[in-house]
Order: sequence, then C-alpha cells, then structure tokens
Amino acid sequence: MQPKTADHKSDQTPDKAPGNIIDIQAVSYTYPDGFQGIKDITLSVCKKEFILLAGKNGSGKTTLLRHLNGLVLPDSGQILVNGKKINDHLIATRKTVGMVFQDADAQIVGDTVFDEVAFGLENLKFERALIIKKVTQVLEELNLYDLKDRNPRALSGGEKRKLAIAGVLVMDPDIIVFDEPFSNLDYPGAIGVLSTIVKLNRTGHTIIIATHDIETVISHASRIIIMADGKIQQDGDPKILMPMLESYGIREPCSSKLGFGIQPWH
Amino acid sequence: MNTSNQLKMTVYSALFVALISIGAFIAIPIGPVPIVLQNMFVLLAAILLGPVWGITCIGVYLLIGLAGLPVFAGGTSGIGKLFGPTGGYLLGYLPAVFVTAAISKGLGKKLSGDIIAMIVGSLIVYAVGVPWLKVVTSMTYTKALTVGMYPFIPGDGIKIIAAAYIAKSIRPIIKL
Amino acid sequence: MALIPFAFRPGKSALHLLDARLKFFLICLVSTSMLSASFVPCLIYSLLLILFFNLARIKVFQLLISMKFFLLLLGFIFLARCFSTPGDTLISAYGISISRLGVTTGFLVAFKFLLVMMTGLLFSGTTRPAQVKGAVQWFLRPIPFLPEKRVAVMISLSLAFMPIILKQNQKVADAQAARCGNLEKNPVKKIIRMVLPLLKKIFLCADNIILAMESRCYTEDRTDPEFQPSGKEPSFLLGSLILAFVFIVL
Repeated sequence: MQPKTADHKSDQTPDKAPGNIIDIQAVSYTYPDGFQGIKDITLSVCKKEFILLAGKNGSGKTTLLRHLNGLVLPDSGQILVNGKKINDHLIATRKTVGMVFQDADAQIVGDTVFDEVAFGLENLKFERALIIKKVTQVLEELNLYDLKDRNPRALSGGEKRKLAIAGVLVMDPDIIVFDEPFSNLDYPGAIGVLSTIVKLNRTGHTIIIATHDIETVISHASRIIIMADGKIQQDGDPKILMPMLESYGIREPCSSKLGFGIQPWH
Repeated sequence: MNTSNQLKMTVYSALFVALISIGAFIAIPIGPVPIVLQNMFVLLAAILLGPVWGITCIGVYLLIGLAGLPVFAGGTSGIGKLFGPTGGYLLGYLPAVFVTAAISKGLGKKLSGDIIAMIVGSLIVYAVGVPWLKVVTSMTYTKALTVGMYPFIPGDGIKIIAAAYIAKSIRPIIKL
Repeated sequence: MALIPFAFRPGKSALHLLDARLKFFLICLVSTSMLSASFVPCLIYSLLLILFFNLARIKVFQLLISMKFFLLLLGFIFLARCFSTPGDTLISAYGISISRLGVTTGFLVAFKFLLVMMTGLLFSGTTRPAQVKGAVQWFLRPIPFLPEKRVAVMISLSLAFMPIILKQNQKVADAQAARCGNLEKNPVKKIIRMVLPLLKKIFLCADNIILAMESRCYTEDRTDPEFQPSGKEPSFLLGSLILAFVFIVL
C-alpha cells in the first residue's frame, strides 16, 4: 500500500493552534441532489504556505475550496479561519479568504476595470475616497492601471485573471484561493498569472491552488494535497508525493517522469 | 439564507432582462418568416420568476429601453417608441407578466397550467397593445386587429407550447 | 462584441466632466422636445451634436458606420412615410404615388430618429457606466417602495449578460447546424432545441456570478456613487432649456 504521509493532521488539537490560519475539522458535505461533495476532511493550513490541491475532476477540490470562503457551509464538522468559526463570521471570513474562480468571465460584475476592482470595497461600505485610493494602488501593483477605463469583458484571458486577482486583493485578504487559475490561458497569459501568484506568496499571502494540471505550479508549492472521492488521500512534500500522482488520475510533470525531479515550468 | 435567495433572484431577473432585450434580435426561421422570441422570454420570465420578480424584470427592461439602449423590438429605444404605435405591447407586458405568473403559481406550476397562464398572458398583451395601436394610428378596430394581432397568433401558439416544455426542464435545474 | 457603439470612451471634455444626473435629465428634455420640432432647429441641433462629438473626441463617421443596421431601418421608415402619406403628388408610376408631403415628413421623422439616437450615444459615450447607473439610482430614489440600489445592480448585470447570451446563442446555432438540426420541421421542437441549451448554459453562468458576488461580500447596502459637479452645470442647463424652447416654439 502507499505510505500515509499525512500523519501531522491527526496528532494536533486544531483549536487555536498558533500559526494556523485555517483549521478544518471533520467536515463533510453532501449536495442537495445527493451528490457527495467531501467526506470527513480534517486539515490545517499555516500562514504563508503555498498549497497545491490536486485531484481529477469530481474529486471534491472545488467543494472544499468553497467551504473556505463560506459559500458552502458544512453539513457536519466545523471550519475555523483565524480561530473564528466561519458560520458566525461570514463577512470577516470572506474578507480574510479571497477567492478567484475558474471562469474569469463569470466573475466580472463591474462595467470598467476600475469598477470591477471597487466592487468588494463598495459592498463593505468603504468611503468613496478610500475606495479610489485602494483600487488605484492595487491596479498599479498588478500593472493594470492603464486599463482602468476599459471594458473588463474585452480584456485578454491573462488580463481577466489578473483583474479577478485584483478584485480580491483590494480587500486585503490573508489567504487567496484559486480554482484552476491556468485553464483557458495561453502560455504568456499563464506565465503572467503564475508570477503574480508567486509574488503574492512572497508578500506574505497564503496561497491555495486547486488544479488537475499541476505542472505549471508545482515547483513553487510548499505542500501538495491529493484528493480523490471527496477525501484527502495524500498530504505532504511535493518532491516525495510526485511519483504517486498518476495513481490518482493526475498527470505527473514530464521532468519528474523523466527523472529530473521538479523543474520550474518556465 | 434569505439574503442569498434575494441575490439569486436579482441575478436571475437580470438574466431575463438581458434575454428579453436580446430576444428582439434572436430569430428562428420557421417557414418563410423568422419567429422573434422576445415575447416568449417575457412569458418564461413570468412562469419562472413569479409575479413580484417578473414585474421587476419587465420594469427594469422598460427602464433601460427608456434610458436609450436599443432593446425594444427592432433595436429601437426611447420615450418616442414607448409612446409610439407599438408602445402598448411593451406596456402590456407589465400586467401580462403579473397575471401569467399568478395563474401559473395558482395552478401548481404544471405543464397544462403554464399553457393556460401563458395564453391568458398573451391575450392581455394584445388587450393593451391593439387598442393602443388603434388610438395612436387612428385605424379602425378591424384594421388594428388584422395588423396587430391575427398574423401573430400561430407563432404565439408555437412559442407558448415550446415555453411550457422549456420551463418544465429548466425548473429542476434552477430550483425555482 | 455587441453594443459597441454604446461603449464609454474615456476623456476630459466638458461633457465628460458634467454631472451625470444633469446629463441624464438633459437628454430626456432634448429628445422629447425634439419630437415636435421643425426642420431648421433640427439642423442647427445636428451641427451642435457634431461639435460636441468632436470635443469629446468621438468620431461621428465611425459611429455611423458601426450602426449600419440602424441606418437601414431609418431608410425603411423614410420610404414607408413616402408611400403612405397623402398629399399633392410628386412622382407617380405604376399606380404608386409619392407625395411631396410624404417625402418631407418622412425625411424629418428619420432625421429626428437619428438625432435622438445620436444624443443617446453622446451620453453613453461620455458617461462612465457606473455614473449612468448612479444617475438612474438617484432619480429612482424618491419613488417609494422601489429598491433603487437593486435596480442599479440589475441594470449592470443585464448589460453583462447580453454579450454572453449572444455568444452562447451563436455557439448553439453552430452546433445545431453541424448536426443538421436545421432540417427539423416541427417548429416547437426547433425552438426547444435552440433555447433549452442556451438557457441551461446561461443559468450556469448566472450561478457562477452569484457565487462570485457572494464571495466578495455582496450586499444591497453598498457605497453610493459619488457625483462631482464640474461647475458648468448651470450654463448647460440654460443652453438646453433654450434649445427645448426653440424646438417646441419654432
């Protein structure tokens, strides 16, 4: 049988463990139509981790991610973000955990790039002057300022994805969660998004990326969690877990297959 | 839960505002004449969204047309259109949606009930639209009916039956 | 992209900086008063329009080209009026006659339609979408029982859905054609086959937007849009009132 590397998850009492920014305790969720989303997930995330959540389609990755932001609330078990139970602190949770969705087009709400980034702050009822200041700052940080008056739907795929990142970054999250951030991107677009994500991690953000195509991002990940059938199957160092990826229906990166270990993707 | 349901209905209503607006441009060729789907989307909005959100939906549609976006039939807009010869059909959507939604709800959102509701709804659109046409253009009633109602009846029948089946398959997906 | 003529074009002209609420009121004033105007005031107004388009750095000619479809429609309106208006005959052939009155009224009606349309384009071209929404919201505020913030959100969402729907509709139509779907004779089935996949797809899209909005803390109690008057509001108001007066009286 395969070695269980995820032993650290059983030997700690997750309640307010210092340094843990997310604590997921025995969470299960079944969709209203009877489809099992996730089963008995227990997981802790430390500050500044760069986690790769891998698994084939339907393995429960997206369901797990949506729990982190309170978009789905668990049937049983509980989730703590910064030590607070998310069910009772939905707005605080959504400020702390920013979420970038798979479909870049479907998350655009604003009519211009500027308005799109301002959307979250408007919901939090920030003063208009502060909104302008913060949005300008974030747009400059992500090199989007020149596009501020453009129609966001007319941007390129990579720009749209960066815009989605700007939209959550402006709310000062500690954790940013990405669902398939590289899908439907061309090569330059993917590189641009990847370097943005890596930079965010360096500036102290905890990063969680769910993907079935891990090649792009694995060289930056500090931890990989493999999911199948709604459960965590493996959890640990990417270098050690690499060879067993394909038994869970995830494509192993070429460099690793050929015996070169993990190589940066670009 | 209540706020998130409200958000869901807001987004779905906005979706129907867009469908009704675009419906003026989506045509399906049937026989020699293409059928325009705008009024079918109005009826679908009624039976899927219910009376209150249905009215909201039509209200916002009329508002954006009034504000100058080309969403009225044939890509027109503005106050002139709303109060022009065919404006009655647009204003007729308001009572029609309300009554259609109420009947559909009262009859238990079943296929047959939906068809009855939509027939009544379409008749209300004509009940407002045809007299309006008559007054604005000073035609006779016979002429107004020949120009503004009879030619559309076969197409309306087809659209109502199609809409009933569409509503039946969409309802379980969107959980309304 | 559909609806491109309506796109906002950033700039710093006097019209760009004018308070959106006033601009909104002015177009309603000008477009309604124009309905009763005669030819000369319309001609003067069209020159004014061209001037403002130039000041706003919007190319009128390109705009007209992008609205070919609308111009065609105006042509039809003109022809319909020509043939249907009675009066002293100008040309008569094959039993159809065109009256002098028909030609002049037809031209005037088509011209006015064009001017109303161009006025609307001037507004949407020089006003940020957020400000348009804000202006609508501001005017709806005094009306009781009307959730003006929700209406504003619905307007911008529906504008977001329109290009998505058009794109999906084209995809569905292509997929149908690829499988010989256009051979279907039953009209009911034909409509269902076109509309059902479209609806399924865009409702999925709507569900994604709902999630994205929720995850960014959406509430209806949001920061209000802010208006910054440029100081030129009184002169624009006065100018438009004079214009409306000329339209109605002359």
